[in-house]
Amino acid sequence: MTEITVPNTVEGAVVLSIIDFVLSMVFIAGIGVMLHFFPYLNHIGEIKEDDLSE
Amino acid sequence: MDKYDQIKSFLLILFQQTGLTEIWWGNLVMMFVGAWLVYLAITKKYEPFLLIGIGFACIISNVPGSDLTQPGGLFYIAYQGVAQLIVPPLIFLGVGAMTDFGPMIANPSLVILGAAAHLGIFVAMIAAKVIGFPINEAGAIGIIGGADGPMAIYVTMKLAPHLLPQISVAAYSYMALMPLIQPPIMKLLTTKAERQIVMDMPRFVSRLERIVFPIVIAVVVNLLLPPVAPLITMMMLGNLFRECLLVDRLADTAANEILNIITIVLTVAIGSTMEASQFLNWQTLQIIFLGLVAFVFGTASGVITARIMNKISGGKINPLIGSAGIASVPIAARVSHMVAQRENRHNYLIMHAMGPNLAGVFGTAISGGIMLALLGAK
Repeated sequence: MTEITVPNTVEGAVVLSIIDFVLSMVFIAGIGVMLHFFPYLNHIGEIKEDDLSE
Repeated sequence: MDKYDQIKSFLLILFQQTGLTEIWWGNLVMMFVGAWLVYLAITKKYEPFLLIGIGFACIISNVPGSDLTQPGGLFYIAYQGVAQLIVPPLIFLGVGAMTDFGPMIANPSLVILGAAAHLGIFVAMIAAKVIGFPINEAGAIGIIGGADGPMAIYVTMKLAPHLLPQISVAAYSYMALMPLIQPPIMKLLTTKAERQIVMDMPRFVSRLERIVFPIVIAVVVNLLLPPVAPLITMMMLGNLFRECLLVDRLADTAANEILNIITIVLTVAIGSTMEASQFLNWQTLQIIFLGLVAFVFGTASGVITARIMNKISGGKINPLIGSAGIASVPIAARVSHMVAQRENRHNYLIMHAMGPNLAGVFGTAISGGIMLALLGAK
Protein backbone atom coordinates (compact mmCIF):
# COMPACT_ATOMS: atom_id res chain seq x y z
CA MET A 1 0.00 0.00 0.00
CA THR A 2 1.49 3.31 -1.06
CA GLU A 3 0.64 6.47 0.76
CA ILE A 4 1.57 9.40 -1.44
CA THR A 5 2.97 12.29 0.55
CA VAL A 6 4.32 14.29 -2.41
CA PRO A 7 1.64 16.08 -4.51
CA ASN A 8 0.59 13.99 -7.49
CA THR A 9 1.43 16.77 -9.95
CA VAL A 10 4.26 17.68 -12.31
CA GLU A 11 5.43 20.21 -9.71
CA GLY A 12 5.43 17.39 -7.14
CA ALA A 13 7.58 15.26 -9.46
CA VAL A 14 10.01 18.16 -10.00
CA VAL A 15 10.28 18.86 -6.28
CA LEU A 16 10.75 15.15 -5.53
CA SER A 17 13.42 14.91 -8.23
CA ILE A 18 15.37 17.91 -6.96
CA ILE A 19 15.26 16.73 -3.34
CA ASP A 20 16.14 13.16 -4.29
CA PHE A 21 19.00 14.14 -6.61
CA VAL A 22 20.55 16.61 -4.15
CA LEU A 23 20.21 14.20 -1.21
CA SER A 24 21.67 11.37 -3.29
CA MET A 25 24.69 13.53 -4.06
CA VAL A 26 25.04 14.41 -0.37
CA PHE A 27 24.74 10.75 0.73
CA ILE A 28 27.18 9.46 -1.83
CA ALA A 29 29.59 12.31 -1.16
CA GLY A 30 29.34 11.29 2.51
CA ILE A 31 30.35 7.75 1.57
CA GLY A 32 33.23 9.22 -0.44
CA VAL A 33 34.40 11.29 2.54
CA MET A 34 34.17 8.21 4.76
CA LEU A 35 36.27 6.22 2.29
CA HIS A 36 38.91 8.96 2.30
CA PHE A 37 39.58 8.04 5.92
CA PHE A 38 39.82 4.30 5.23
CA PRO A 39 43.61 4.29 4.76
CA TYR A 40 43.89 5.43 8.39
CA LEU A 41 42.46 2.05 9.42
CA ASN A 42 45.81 0.60 8.47
CA HIS A 43 47.41 2.57 11.30
CA ILE A 44 45.18 0.76 13.78
CA GLY A 45 46.27 -2.70 12.80
CA GLU A 46 46.77 -5.25 10.10
CA ILE A 47 45.09 -8.51 9.18
CA LYS A 48 47.52 -11.05 7.80
CA GLU A 49 45.87 -12.90 4.94
CA ASP A 50 47.98 -15.98 5.61
CA ASP A 51 46.22 -16.35 8.99
CA LEU A 52 42.83 -16.34 7.30
CA SER A 53 41.80 -19.65 5.89
CA GLU A 54 38.78 -21.88 6.18
CA MET B 1 -25.21 -41.53 -32.65
CA ASP B 2 -23.03 -43.48 -35.02
CA LYS B 3 -19.35 -44.10 -34.56
CA TYR B 4 -18.38 -41.22 -36.82
CA ASP B 5 -20.36 -38.70 -34.72
CA GLN B 6 -18.92 -40.18 -31.53
CA ILE B 7 -15.35 -39.73 -32.76
CA LYS B 8 -16.22 -36.23 -33.95
CA SER B 9 -17.61 -35.25 -30.52
CA PHE B 10 -14.56 -36.73 -28.75
CA LEU B 11 -12.25 -34.72 -31.01
CA LEU B 12 -14.34 -31.59 -30.39
CA ILE B 13 -14.11 -32.04 -26.63
CA LEU B 14 -10.38 -32.65 -26.96
CA PHE B 15 -10.03 -29.50 -29.07
CA GLN B 16 -11.98 -27.43 -26.55
CA GLN B 17 -9.60 -28.53 -23.81
CA THR B 18 -6.59 -27.16 -25.68
CA GLY B 19 -5.43 -23.57 -25.68
CA LEU B 20 -6.23 -23.23 -29.37
CA THR B 21 -9.73 -21.92 -28.62
CA GLU B 22 -8.39 -19.00 -26.55
CA ILE B 23 -5.37 -17.93 -28.55
CA TRP B 24 -5.48 -14.44 -30.11
CA TRP B 25 -3.08 -12.33 -32.17
CA GLY B 26 -1.66 -10.69 -29.05
CA ASN B 27 -0.39 -14.05 -27.82
CA LEU B 28 1.32 -14.60 -31.15
CA VAL B 29 2.97 -11.15 -30.99
CA MET B 30 4.26 -11.83 -27.48
CA MET B 31 5.48 -15.29 -28.46
CA PHE B 32 7.42 -13.57 -31.22
CA VAL B 33 8.81 -11.06 -28.69
CA GLY B 34 9.86 -13.94 -26.42
CA ALA B 35 11.52 -15.72 -29.34
CA TRP B 36 13.31 -12.48 -30.26
CA LEU B 37 14.69 -12.19 -26.71
CA VAL B 38 15.95 -15.78 -26.90
CA TYR B 39 17.45 -14.99 -30.32
CA LEU B 40 19.27 -11.91 -28.94
CA ALA B 41 20.58 -13.94 -26.01
CA ILE B 42 21.85 -16.86 -28.06
CA THR B 43 23.07 -15.29 -31.28
CA LYS B 44 24.09 -11.80 -30.09
CA LYS B 45 25.06 -12.95 -26.56
CA TYR B 46 23.09 -10.05 -24.99
CA GLU B 47 22.72 -10.99 -21.31
CA PRO B 48 22.00 -14.69 -22.03
CA PHE B 49 21.70 -15.52 -18.32
CA LEU B 50 18.68 -13.24 -18.14
CA LEU B 51 17.14 -13.14 -21.59
CA ILE B 52 16.93 -16.91 -22.21
CA GLY B 53 14.74 -17.45 -19.13
CA ILE B 54 12.70 -14.29 -19.69
CA GLY B 55 12.15 -15.04 -23.39
CA PHE B 56 11.25 -18.69 -22.84
CA ALA B 57 8.81 -17.90 -20.01
CA CYS B 58 7.30 -15.13 -22.15
CA ILE B 59 6.62 -17.63 -24.96
CA ILE B 60 5.09 -20.22 -22.62
CA SER B 61 3.01 -17.66 -20.72
CA ASN B 62 1.33 -16.72 -23.96
CA VAL B 63 0.26 -20.28 -24.71
CA PRO B 64 -3.32 -20.18 -23.36
CA GLY B 65 -3.44 -23.85 -22.38
CA SER B 66 -0.48 -23.59 -20.01
CA ASP B 67 -1.25 -23.57 -16.28
CA LEU B 68 2.26 -22.58 -15.28
CA THR B 69 1.26 -18.97 -14.62
CA GLN B 70 -1.94 -19.89 -12.74
CA PRO B 71 -2.02 -20.25 -8.94
CA GLY B 72 -0.16 -23.45 -8.11
CA GLY B 73 1.90 -23.34 -11.30
CA LEU B 74 5.68 -23.11 -11.03
CA PHE B 75 5.94 -19.77 -12.86
CA TYR B 76 3.27 -18.38 -10.53
CA ILE B 77 5.21 -19.60 -7.50
CA ALA B 78 8.40 -18.07 -8.92
CA TYR B 79 6.57 -14.76 -9.30
CA GLN B 80 5.56 -14.90 -5.62
CA GLY B 81 9.28 -14.80 -4.78
CA VAL B 82 9.48 -11.49 -6.62
CA ALA B 83 6.15 -10.18 -5.32
CA GLN B 84 7.09 -10.97 -1.72
CA LEU B 85 10.47 -9.24 -2.27
CA ILE B 86 12.45 -12.37 -1.43
CA VAL B 87 14.30 -12.61 -4.74
CA PRO B 88 15.92 -9.13 -5.01
CA PRO B 89 17.75 -9.29 -1.62
CA LEU B 90 19.03 -12.80 -2.45
CA ILE B 91 20.37 -11.52 -5.77
CA PHE B 92 22.17 -8.77 -3.88
CA LEU B 93 23.64 -11.40 -1.53
CA GLY B 94 25.16 -13.18 -4.52
CA VAL B 95 26.29 -9.96 -6.16
CA GLY B 96 28.01 -8.88 -2.94
CA ALA B 97 29.78 -12.24 -2.70
CA MET B 98 31.18 -11.91 -6.20
CA THR B 99 32.09 -8.21 -6.13
CA ASP B 100 35.45 -6.68 -5.31
CA PHE B 101 34.77 -3.23 -3.87
CA GLY B 102 38.50 -2.46 -3.84
CA PRO B 103 38.36 -0.05 -6.83
CA MET B 104 35.67 1.99 -5.06
CA ILE B 105 37.53 2.06 -1.74
CA ALA B 106 40.77 2.99 -3.51
CA ASN B 107 39.31 5.96 -5.36
CA PRO B 108 36.81 7.75 -3.11
CA SER B 109 36.82 10.94 -5.16
CA LEU B 110 35.20 9.07 -8.07
CA VAL B 111 32.32 7.83 -5.90
CA ILE B 112 30.35 11.00 -6.63
CA LEU B 113 29.91 9.79 -10.22
CA GLY B 114 27.66 7.07 -8.80
CA ALA B 115 25.10 9.75 -7.97
CA ALA B 116 25.79 12.12 -10.86
CA ALA B 117 24.98 9.46 -13.44
CA HIS B 118 21.48 9.09 -12.04
CA LEU B 119 20.08 12.30 -13.42
CA GLY B 120 18.30 10.10 -15.96
CA ILE B 121 16.10 8.69 -13.18
CA PHE B 122 14.66 12.11 -12.49
CA VAL B 123 14.38 13.24 -16.11
CA ALA B 124 12.40 10.07 -16.88
CA MET B 125 10.28 10.49 -13.75
CA ILE B 126 9.33 14.08 -14.63
CA ALA B 127 8.68 13.07 -18.27
CA ALA B 128 6.47 10.21 -17.10
CA LYS B 129 4.48 12.59 -14.90
CA VAL B 130 4.14 15.10 -17.75
CA ILE B 131 2.64 12.45 -20.06
CA GLY B 132 0.11 11.49 -17.42
CA PHE B 133 1.44 8.71 -15.18
CA PRO B 134 0.58 9.04 -11.46
CA ILE B 135 3.61 10.06 -9.41
CA ASN B 136 4.16 6.62 -7.86
CA GLU B 137 4.22 5.02 -11.33
CA ALA B 138 6.46 7.83 -12.61
CA GLY B 139 8.92 7.12 -9.80
CA ALA B 140 8.98 3.41 -10.60
CA ILE B 141 9.53 4.18 -14.30
CA GLY B 142 12.33 6.61 -13.47
CA ILE B 143 14.25 3.98 -11.51
CA ILE B 144 14.84 2.13 -14.80
CA GLY B 145 17.57 4.76 -15.25
CA GLY B 146 19.39 3.30 -12.27
CA ALA B 147 20.29 0.36 -14.55
CA ASP B 148 20.03 -1.98 -11.60
CA GLY B 149 17.57 -4.82 -12.22
CA PRO B 150 16.91 -6.02 -8.66
CA MET B 151 16.61 -2.43 -7.41
CA ALA B 152 14.17 -1.59 -10.22
CA ILE B 153 12.08 -4.63 -9.26
CA TYR B 154 12.24 -3.75 -5.57
CA VAL B 155 11.17 -0.12 -6.04
CA THR B 156 8.49 -1.08 -8.57
CA MET B 157 6.99 -3.69 -6.24
CA LYS B 158 6.76 -1.00 -3.55
CA LEU B 159 5.40 1.80 -5.76
CA ALA B 160 3.56 0.29 -8.73
CA PRO B 161 3.57 -3.53 -8.69
CA HIS B 162 1.24 -3.73 -11.69
CA LEU B 163 4.00 -2.21 -13.84
CA LEU B 164 6.56 -4.91 -12.96
CA PRO B 165 6.55 -6.64 -16.37
CA GLN B 166 7.10 -3.48 -18.38
CA ILE B 167 9.67 -1.95 -16.01
CA SER B 168 11.71 -5.11 -15.46
CA VAL B 169 11.77 -5.93 -19.17
CA ALA B 170 12.77 -2.34 -20.04
CA ALA B 171 15.48 -2.29 -17.34
CA TYR B 172 17.05 -5.63 -18.29
CA SER B 173 16.74 -5.02 -22.03
CA TYR B 174 18.46 -1.63 -21.86
CA MET B 175 21.15 -3.06 -19.57
CA ALA B 176 21.81 -5.68 -22.23
CA LEU B 177 21.87 -2.99 -24.91
CA MET B 178 24.22 -0.62 -23.07
CA PRO B 179 27.17 -1.43 -25.37
CA LEU B 180 25.03 0.00 -28.17
CA ILE B 181 23.35 2.89 -26.32
CA GLN B 182 26.26 4.43 -24.41
CA PRO B 183 29.24 4.76 -26.82
CA PRO B 184 27.67 7.34 -29.21
CA ILE B 185 26.72 9.56 -26.25
CA MET B 186 30.18 9.15 -24.68
CA LYS B 187 31.87 10.11 -27.94
CA LEU B 188 29.56 13.04 -28.51
CA LEU B 189 30.32 14.56 -25.10
CA THR B 190 34.11 14.06 -24.99
CA THR B 191 37.09 15.05 -27.10
CA LYS B 192 39.52 12.54 -28.59
CA ALA B 193 42.28 13.84 -26.29
CA GLU B 194 40.08 13.31 -23.23
CA ARG B 195 39.23 9.76 -24.27
CA GLN B 196 42.95 8.98 -24.48
CA ILE B 197 43.77 10.03 -20.91
CA VAL B 198 45.58 7.26 -19.04
CA MET B 199 44.76 7.37 -15.35
CA ASP B 200 47.16 6.69 -12.45
CA MET B 201 47.10 3.22 -10.88
CA PRO B 202 44.74 3.04 -7.88
CA ARG B 203 46.29 2.46 -4.45
CA PHE B 204 46.49 -0.91 -2.70
CA VAL B 205 43.50 -1.70 -0.46
CA SER B 206 44.29 -3.74 2.64
CA ARG B 207 42.33 -6.73 3.93
CA LEU B 208 41.30 -4.74 7.01
CA GLU B 209 39.74 -2.01 4.84
CA ARG B 210 37.94 -4.63 2.76
CA ILE B 211 36.46 -6.24 5.89
CA VAL B 212 35.47 -2.97 7.56
CA PHE B 213 33.79 -1.62 4.39
CA PRO B 214 30.71 -3.92 4.26
CA ILE B 215 30.09 -3.59 7.98
CA VAL B 216 30.24 0.22 7.95
CA ILE B 217 28.10 0.53 4.81
CA ALA B 218 25.46 -1.85 6.20
CA VAL B 219 25.22 0.13 9.43
CA VAL B 220 25.04 3.50 7.61
CA VAL B 221 22.38 2.33 5.14
CA ASN B 222 20.23 0.71 7.85
CA LEU B 223 20.51 3.88 9.88
CA LEU B 224 19.84 6.41 7.15
CA LEU B 225 17.99 4.58 4.38
CA PRO B 226 15.74 1.91 5.90
CA PRO B 227 13.53 1.57 2.78
CA VAL B 228 16.36 -0.06 0.79
CA ALA B 229 18.28 -1.52 3.70
CA PRO B 230 17.29 -5.16 2.95
CA LEU B 231 19.05 -5.05 -0.42
CA ILE B 232 22.25 -3.30 0.62
CA THR B 233 22.47 -5.29 3.86
CA MET B 234 22.37 -8.58 1.96
CA MET B 235 24.93 -7.32 -0.53
CA MET B 236 27.25 -6.33 2.29
CA LEU B 237 26.77 -9.70 4.01
CA GLY B 238 27.76 -11.47 0.79
CA ASN B 239 30.75 -9.17 0.47
CA LEU B 240 31.82 -9.85 4.06
CA PHE B 241 31.68 -13.61 3.31
CA ARG B 242 34.01 -12.95 0.39
CA GLU B 243 36.46 -10.56 2.01
CA CYS B 244 36.99 -12.25 5.37
CA LEU B 245 38.52 -15.22 3.49
CA LEU B 246 37.36 -17.57 6.26
CA VAL B 247 34.09 -18.78 4.79
CA ASP B 248 34.91 -19.40 1.16
CA ARG B 249 32.23 -22.07 0.96
CA LEU B 250 29.52 -19.59 1.97
CA ALA B 251 30.86 -16.96 -0.42
CA ASP B 252 31.00 -19.50 -3.25
CA THR B 253 27.48 -20.75 -2.50
CA ALA B 254 26.09 -17.20 -2.44
CA ALA B 255 27.94 -16.19 -5.62
CA ASN B 256 27.22 -19.36 -7.56
CA GLU B 257 24.52 -21.78 -6.41
CA ILE B 258 22.17 -19.25 -4.77
CA LEU B 259 22.66 -16.63 -7.47
CA ASN B 260 22.12 -19.18 -10.23
CA ILE B 261 18.96 -20.58 -8.67
CA ILE B 262 17.60 -17.12 -7.99
CA THR B 263 18.42 -16.05 -11.54
CA ILE B 264 16.28 -18.92 -12.86
CA VAL B 265 13.44 -17.96 -10.51
CA LEU B 266 13.71 -14.28 -11.39
CA THR B 267 13.84 -14.71 -15.14
CA VAL B 268 10.88 -17.07 -15.36
CA ALA B 269 8.97 -14.82 -12.96
CA ILE B 270 9.55 -11.76 -15.15
CA GLY B 271 8.87 -13.64 -18.38
CA SER B 272 5.67 -15.09 -16.96
CA THR B 273 4.27 -11.58 -16.41
CA MET B 274 4.58 -10.76 -20.11
CA GLU B 275 1.13 -12.07 -20.99
CA ALA B 276 -0.31 -10.30 -24.04
CA SER B 277 -3.42 -8.87 -22.38
CA GLN B 278 -1.24 -7.22 -19.70
CA PHE B 279 1.69 -6.24 -21.86
CA LEU B 280 0.39 -5.17 -25.25
CA ASN B 281 -0.75 -1.63 -24.65
CA TRP B 282 0.23 1.96 -25.28
CA GLN B 283 1.54 2.29 -21.70
CA THR B 284 4.21 -0.36 -22.37
CA LEU B 285 5.55 1.59 -25.35
CA GLN B 286 5.64 4.76 -23.25
CA ILE B 287 7.53 2.99 -20.45
CA ILE B 288 10.04 1.48 -22.87
CA PHE B 289 10.63 4.92 -24.42
CA LEU B 290 11.00 6.56 -20.99
CA GLY B 291 13.51 3.87 -20.02
CA LEU B 292 15.64 4.85 -22.99
CA VAL B 293 15.37 8.53 -21.98
CA ALA B 294 16.57 7.58 -18.49
CA PHE B 295 19.59 5.66 -19.83
CA VAL B 296 20.58 8.42 -22.26
CA PHE B 297 20.38 11.22 -19.69
CA GLY B 298 22.10 9.10 -17.02
CA THR B 299 25.01 8.35 -19.35
CA ALA B 300 25.26 12.00 -20.41
CA SER B 301 25.16 13.40 -16.87
CA GLY B 302 27.84 10.93 -15.73
CA VAL B 303 30.17 11.83 -18.61
CA ILE B 304 29.64 15.58 -18.17
CA THR B 305 30.34 15.36 -14.42
CA ALA B 306 33.48 13.30 -15.08
CA ARG B 307 34.56 15.93 -17.59
CA ILE B 308 34.15 18.65 -14.98
CA MET B 309 36.15 16.54 -12.52
CA ASN B 310 38.83 16.10 -15.17
CA LYS B 311 39.16 19.88 -15.54
CA ILE B 312 39.32 20.35 -11.76
CA SER B 313 41.93 17.60 -11.36
CA GLY B 314 44.13 19.07 -14.07
CA GLY B 315 43.47 16.39 -16.67
CA LYS B 316 43.94 13.28 -14.52
CA ILE B 317 40.47 11.76 -14.98
CA ASN B 318 39.32 10.13 -18.19
CA PRO B 319 35.70 11.35 -18.64
CA LEU B 320 34.71 8.00 -20.13
CA ILE B 321 34.49 6.56 -16.63
CA GLY B 322 31.54 8.88 -15.91
CA SER B 323 29.09 6.74 -17.84
CA ALA B 324 29.99 3.77 -15.62
CA GLY B 325 28.30 5.56 -12.70
CA ILE B 326 24.99 4.36 -14.12
CA ALA B 327 25.43 1.06 -12.15
CA SER B 328 24.75 -2.15 -14.09
CA VAL B 329 27.91 -3.83 -12.80
CA PRO B 330 30.11 -4.62 -14.68
CA ILE B 331 28.53 -3.88 -18.07
CA ALA B 332 28.87 -0.08 -17.81
CA ALA B 333 32.51 -0.32 -16.69
CA ARG B 334 33.22 -2.66 -19.60
CA VAL B 335 31.67 -0.15 -22.02
CA SER B 336 33.93 2.63 -20.66
CA HIS B 337 36.94 0.34 -21.09
CA MET B 338 35.87 -0.71 -24.58
CA VAL B 339 35.46 2.90 -25.80
CA ALA B 340 38.83 3.87 -24.27
CA GLN B 341 40.53 0.91 -25.94
CA ARG B 342 39.29 2.05 -29.33
CA GLU B 343 41.26 5.28 -28.82
CA ASN B 344 44.32 3.76 -27.14
CA ARG B 345 44.86 0.00 -27.06
CA HIS B 346 47.15 0.31 -24.04
CA ASN B 347 44.63 2.17 -21.89
CA TYR B 348 43.14 -0.24 -19.32
CA LEU B 349 40.31 1.86 -17.97
CA ILE B 350 38.26 -0.97 -16.48
CA MET B 351 39.80 -0.84 -13.00
CA HIS B 352 39.16 2.91 -12.83
CA ALA B 353 35.63 2.60 -14.23
CA MET B 354 34.73 -0.07 -11.66
CA GLY B 355 34.88 2.54 -8.85
CA PRO B 356 32.05 4.72 -10.24
CA ASN B 357 30.29 1.59 -11.44
CA LEU B 358 30.14 0.14 -7.92
CA ALA B 359 29.26 3.54 -6.50
CA GLY B 360 26.40 3.56 -9.00
CA VAL B 361 24.87 0.57 -7.20
CA PHE B 362 24.80 2.63 -4.03
CA GLY B 363 23.64 5.69 -6.01
CA THR B 364 20.62 3.81 -7.32
CA ALA B 365 19.87 2.40 -3.89
CA ILE B 366 20.10 5.84 -2.31
CA SER B 367 17.92 7.46 -5.00
CA GLY B 368 15.40 4.62 -4.71
CA GLY B 369 15.43 4.75 -0.93
CA ILE B 370 14.83 8.50 -0.82
CA MET B 371 12.09 8.15 -3.45
CA LEU B 372 10.34 5.42 -1.42
CA ALA B 373 10.60 7.52 1.73
CA LEU B 374 9.26 10.67 0.04
CA LEU B 375 6.40 8.79 -1.59
CA GLY B 376 5.53 7.18 1.71
CA ALA B 377 5.96 3.60 0.44
CA LYS B 378 5.92 1.03 3.24
